[in-house]
Amino acid sequence: MNNASSIQFDRPDLGACIEAFTEAELDELAFGVIGFNSDTTVTLYNTFESKYAGLSRERVVGNPLFTTVAPCMNNFMVAHRFEEAAAHGTTLDETIDYVLTLRMRPIKVKLRLFAGPGSSTRYVLVLRSL
Amino acid sequence: MLSIEEDYEALIQFLYLAPVGLAQTGSDGEIVMINPISAQLLLPISRDGNLTNLFDVFEPIAPELRHLCSAFTGSHGMICDALRIQITAGMPGKSDPQVLSLSLLKLDEQRLMAVIGDVTLQVKRERQLRQNDAWFNAILTGISDYALVRLDKTGIVEDWNASIGRVTGFTRESLVGNSYSLFFPTGATTTESLQDRLVEADANGWSLADGEQIRSDGTVYWASTMISPLRLQDSAAPDDAPQDPSYCLIIRDITDKREASENHRRATACDHLTGLANRHAFFDAAAMELERMRRVPRPLSLILFDADHFKKINDQYGHPTGDAVLRELAVAMTATFRQIDVVARVGGEEFAILLPSTDLSGAMLVAERLRELVASQVLMIDGVEIKYTVSGGVATMHDNALGLDVLMKRADQALYAAKGRGRNCIESWCAEADTKGPRR
Repeated sequence: MNNASSIQFDRPDLGACIEAFTEAELDELAFGVIGFNSDTTVTLYNTFESKYAGLSRERVVGNPLFTTVAPCMNNFMVAHRFEEAAAHGTTLDETIDYVLTLRMRPIKVKLRLFAGPGSSTRYVLVLRSL
Repeated sequence: MLSIEEDYEALIQFLYLAPVGLAQTGSDGEIVMINPISAQLLLPISRDGNLTNLFDVFEPIAPELRHLCSAFTGSHGMICDALRIQITAGMPGKSDPQVLSLSLLKLDEQRLMAVIGDVTLQVKRERQLRQNDAWFNAILTGISDYALVRLDKTGIVEDWNASIGRVTGFTRESLVGNSYSLFFPTGATTTESLQDRLVEADANGWSLADGEQIRSDGTVYWASTMISPLRLQDSAAPDDAPQDPSYCLIIRDITDKREASENHRRATACDHLTGLANRHAFFDAAAMELERMRRVPRPLSLILFDADHFKKINDQYGHPTGDAVLRELAVAMTATFRQIDVVARVGGEEFAILLPSTDLSGAMLVAERLRELVASQVLMIDGVEIKYTVSGGVATMHDNALGLDVLMKRADQALYAAKGRGRNCIESWCAEADTKGPRR
């Protein structure tokens, strides 16, 4: 088994890895993980994401992602892709270039969006561009 | 008590969740701080997917921003307040045109603060309200009659209808084959403005306007006109033979409603002292005219007038008299300029007149006419005879590339030159004037 901290953001089976990880392992990752359920309530928020966004897990988990956690993703580039995948029952695994406003600084990131018809949790993974 | 760290986190979240876009940039537009709603609104319009420079992001849809900021001379203050920027044109009946609102505040020489909001729904609601107004007008006026006529794509009347005869008095022979400009008094329209309404009807699904119109016997009445495209839903017509567009024009005589609609207009768009357009209405009208110029280039002239030695009038006779002089000047302007010209009071004793489809010589002529009229008048105000004069500066542009600010600046330079020549005269802008300093 790989050590979680060495998991690469672009590995093809990343979605399956994330699903298999414990919360402790997710916290070791070198990129951000936000997991949310079918009504967009955040269920997972790893340490990396918490640190760079400047928000503690307690403030985020249990809140709706696109309205009160990451409203910047509430557009056709992110939220709409998850809606489409859910509506058509298809698998979503796309990586897009994006700009997040982490602590009000515009930061270039790669977002990897995961949703599978068989899984109740959807993921937004956030890699800070180098 | 919350710790500093908890306070900081709460503040961060407050900014993350603020339901309005906020950004701070350098004077060159480089983004220093930006909140999530800004990113939500701006990323879809950013061509390279970056949010590095605010001016770059807006470049394709609002190229004037950079200039607007560099031309702002104050050390701090509002550069633009809720400027509306149209992102998409929308499709009639399918999607609404997306519109952003942008306010830019200059904090100091190094910093700008931007407030960005999505006003798509607000704009849609305003549009619907105006449409509702039209319908309510139709219902509530207890409308006795309306006239209906079909126009071709160039605004030529295609057929005649008995209702037209009843409302306007025109006969079939005098109308069919002629431009619908026949319905309007001289000076109320230009060839371009008539065409603009057809284009606007295509874009919005309708074009509504209230204004003076004329019957065949020359009498003037107040009318509301609605133009909407006639989409021929003829399934038999092959797709590869598209038909020329045509339009339906509805004219309603609303003379008895004029006062009410005028009152409303006065309250929002008029200068309280003179009844002329106020600064806001002037810039609104100018923006619309520039938009029309973008579609169909045409000359646009601007005249700036300034009452000469106005401070002396105020000092010598008192402010109420000064106000009366300004009102008289407004009356002279209204009498001199066309209905389609936008006559506005833009400063204390400063007036701006926007003349659509008018070249420099035309604008010079009419500016000179006003100057002569004022110089020849002797006003009687509270039993005191008062003579005064005005100076004017004229500038013209032939497409919208220069932008309104440059046009304003040029007219201002010409006005400065007229003052320098001893006042009571009109000057036009010339390129050499650019090298001289501004008036103030």
